[in-house]
Amino acid sequence: MKKRVLAASMAALMAMASLSGCSGGGGSSSDTTTAGGDTTTAASGDTTTAADSGSSDGEKVTLSLYWWGNQTRNDLTKKAVDLYMEQNPNIEITVEFTDWSGYWDKLSAMAAGGNMPDIIQQDYSYINQYQQSGQLADLTPFIEDGTIDTTNIPDSIIESGSIDGKCYALSLGSNAPLMIYDKAIVEQAGVTIPDQPTIDELYDLGEQIYAATGVKTYFDGGLNMMQIIARANGSHLFDELAAGDTASTLEHFQNVVRFNDSDAAISPDLLAEKNPDVVETKPIIDGTTWNDFSFSNQYISISDVAGRDLGVCMYPTTADATTQPMYLKPSQFFSIAETSEHKQEAAEFINWFTNSVECNEILLGERGIPISTEVAEAIKPMVDEKSALIFDYIDKVSEIAEPIDDPDPTGKGEIEAIGKTTVEDVRYGDVTAEEAAESFTSQSASILSQAQ
Amino acid sequence: MKQGYKEKRMVLTVIYHVFTLLFALVMIYPVVWMILGSFKDSNEIFQQAQKLLPDSFKLTNYEVGWQGFAGYSFGIFFKNSFIIAGLSTIGAVISSAIVAYGFARCEFKFKGFWFACMLLAMMLPFQMIMIPQYIVFNKIGWVGSYLPIIVPQFFGQGFFIFLNVQFIKGIPIDLDEAARMDGCSIYSIFPRIILPLIKPSLVTSAIFSFMWRWDDFMSALIYLSDPYTYPVSYALKMFSDPTAGSDWGAMFAMATLSLIPIFFIFLTMQKYLVEGIASTGIKG
Amino acid sequence: MKNTTNPPKRKKTLAQAMNTQKVAGYVFTLPFIIGFLAFLALPMILSFGFSFTKYSILESPEFIGLDNYITMFTGDSKFWKVFGVTLYYVIFSVPLRLIMALIVALLLVKSSKLSGFYRAVFYLPSIIGSSVAVAILWKRMFASDGVINALLQTVGINCEIAWLGRESTAIWTLIILAVWQFGSSMLIFLSGLKQIPVSLYEAATVDGATGIQRFFKITLPMLTPTIFFNLINQLINGFMAFTQSYIITQGKPRDSTLFYTVYMYQNSFTYNKMGYGCAMAWFMVLVVGILTLILFKSQKYWVYYESEG
Repeated sequence: MKKRVLAASMAALMAMASLSGCSGGGGSSSDTTTAGGDTTTAASGDTTTAADSGSSDGEKVTLSLYWWGNQTRNDLTKKAVDLYMEQNPNIEITVEFTDWSGYWDKLSAMAAGGNMPDIIQQDYSYINQYQQSGQLADLTPFIEDGTIDTTNIPDSIIESGSIDGKCYALSLGSNAPLMIYDKAIVEQAGVTIPDQPTIDELYDLGEQIYAATGVKTYFDGGLNMMQIIARANGSHLFDELAAGDTASTLEHFQNVVRFNDSDAAISPDLLAEKNPDVVETKPIIDGTTWNDFSFSNQYISISDVAGRDLGVCMYPTTADATTQPMYLKPSQFFSIAETSEHKQEAAEFINWFTNSVECNEILLGERGIPISTEVAEAIKPMVDEKSALIFDYIDKVSEIAEPIDDPDPTGKGEIEAIGKTTVEDVRYGDVTAEEAAESFTSQSASILSQAQ
Repeated sequence: MKQGYKEKRMVLTVIYHVFTLLFALVMIYPVVWMILGSFKDSNEIFQQAQKLLPDSFKLTNYEVGWQGFAGYSFGIFFKNSFIIAGLSTIGAVISSAIVAYGFARCEFKFKGFWFACMLLAMMLPFQMIMIPQYIVFNKIGWVGSYLPIIVPQFFGQGFFIFLNVQFIKGIPIDLDEAARMDGCSIYSIFPRIILPLIKPSLVTSAIFSFMWRWDDFMSALIYLSDPYTYPVSYALKMFSDPTAGSDWGAMFAMATLSLIPIFFIFLTMQKYLVEGIASTGIKG
Repeated sequence: MKNTTNPPKRKKTLAQAMNTQKVAGYVFTLPFIIGFLAFLALPMILSFGFSFTKYSILESPEFIGLDNYITMFTGDSKFWKVFGVTLYYVIFSVPLRLIMALIVALLLVKSSKLSGFYRAVFYLPSIIGSSVAVAILWKRMFASDGVINALLQTVGINCEIAWLGRESTAIWTLIILAVWQFGSSMLIFLSGLKQIPVSLYEAATVDGATGIQRFFKITLPMLTPTIFFNLINQLINGFMAFTQSYIITQGKPRDSTLFYTVYMYQNSFTYNKMGYGCAMAWFMVLVVGILTLILFKSQKYWVYYESEG
């Protein structure tokens, strides 16, 4: 009896929660109530009528645009948006921006409230779960009918935002994994860093540099490196993990052990303290190590914080690699919310954002190297020295890059956390590479199976 | 004899001040570091973290930081913070005192239950009710405005209610009884007798409320959408972006500025916590 | 209330009824009750409901009974680890912070020209809270080449400990941070001290009581309601501590500084297990609730309320 009452009340509650979940609809533009300020009265007044009658000509359409970013991105994007509104007087775009971690908290609340903005910035590690829960609109029709012009965009880039053959997100720029190194220290040690070292070469370089300068070497023990190893072996990390296959993870943890045992290695204590996950405290910043690993979009901020010249090269590969592990990664995407009532107008804006040289002359590749080859060509002469270095690097990578792994599966966040503690266990010498590979793979496999 | 006593007192006072001052220096070092950091270049902050003084005092961080984001300057954000923190504090202090009187001085049905509810609300982390609360406020159309942030403050805040309850319980019941003899009702005892006596806890509540609302970015993040309405605490977050790059200098500069109002509120309010007992200090 | 429906009976009844504690209690607490029902009750019930579901926020919740709780207690070794870490943090940081706050409050209650300045200085660390600036600085201070080690070296202890890199010491950097930010407890103690009637001290002085006697006979007993409040409040705050772990150490090394709430948050928002996160939240509410209840029951042995004689 008690059980039934409980079940019934639960069901009622769930119904309440889910009811409120899908009833939001076009709430996105009703947010202007007390806002005042920039959003003029005309805009909020017209919203309701526009929503009623769809997007017929002459009526003002309000689009909401939401992204995460810093001062530069916020300023530039707003400038571009203003230009677009000037050129399209029937479009009103309300902007909202947040910091990275707050963005995802807020977006999930908005999704739960059925209140998503029309155009949302997306990330490779989140796109899968938002697509799976039906929050993202299919962009394929807009690509097919030419609303979003893809003539100058490589197919691989469209594919990077596609799931099951349908495009849900359009990349805003390209990134690539990279290793950064301290030019001065490398020069002092009298070595040269090849464009793409093998892991063995990296090990030797580390020893040589340590012998000559006393500066230590860092080896990336995280998922990025695991992915590279798996790709070099001709497979994909998450496929292997889902299948419970330890081949690449074992190889990875063996590498971690090998680097960790070297005199040249940064000690686990120091590594935990410096925390290479955070740009500002990376051990390369204060010269504890001569190298570090990251993605091309972080190069500028790392070298700004370091305040000196940093070189870049590709992620190390294995000596016996069967495939080129390097890949281009979408830095971020624009997606359209499934709940949006102005998908056509939103798609037009995304097209302009991607293909307009005028727009990208404002943005200047701040979100990564523009995906339209024509646009990238046009703005390349306009960027500063550091950005130019990244342009060149991406050029170099794109010549050899293999397609990126599928968007991260649900459960990636948890697997990453387990990966971090496992690699710490290995570095502190508590578990062997074999044990680490075994436990990491089995835990990951069970997370992936539960997430299905 | 008297001379010796005086000297002893002098020595004690000097020791007291030297000790407190030294301790104060240790306490304040990190704050000074942050303030001086706001005059440094971003890379100087990290490269030479041990160094207290900047190579040269630059105001660039303040200039860059004040510009804010996308044309919304920190002037706007400060104005918004004053509105949010100011109204919330007024609401929270008044309503909490009223509710506290009910809990502290009246016996009524289910009092224990409601008090437990209040404590329960204090124990549940905000992150866990954030999503359902968003759904509720979205339903009633408050999302995108200050209402979900400010209005709940006018219905009493657990922390302040509890604080006031403790203080009211510390007031002798004889005072109430005497007032009742004089014909005061329960309702007039509160403003006439109780309220003047709990001034310390009202002042404390006001300081805390202002500071917490000023620092709170979570509810701004969840409920506000137009950048024109963002408060300082929320805007500060946007200087850092782990995916693209952070401007720490500008963040330190604006964080330093954002300390000033809270510090000012504290300085003016804390005076009310001095008197009274001060006289015993002199006599002792 | 009943009387209001029968006006003919007596004219004064409404006013009289209103003036009873039974009614007045509700009148005064009504704002809270309305606010609670309107803004908190439903979200709380929902989050309790979610704890029996598999819920990713993006998809609607799916009822799974007690599975979350069973996994929590039997299948998740990290759960007990973070619970232990948090308990350790609470056990050390709460008493230390309160003692510190009380000592400093007693020092500063003395009136001198500088007391306002001192209070401000001691309160400042609490104002800057757990901002990113503090996070950066704290890491730098406890770095192996940081200020703390340098200080230790000047007093002759030669060490290059990576405080944040060792499991045994990393948690202590967070405890010290908590103790350093004793300002808010201090402020409450100060206001508690301020409320003690001056007449009590005057009477005691007349009776010839010494300073120490006055402290133990007057100050301490009269301060017990404030101590009690601070204790409950710090206990709750201690269990809810989030930012220190989230921003400064990110749980490193090896989850030795991973707080309960951070793991709960990660589950809810990063791992898409809102249901599990809610189950964790309610387990914490239960633990803190029981501890609070014990403290409340213990009041009669050590807390002195003037109003209760």
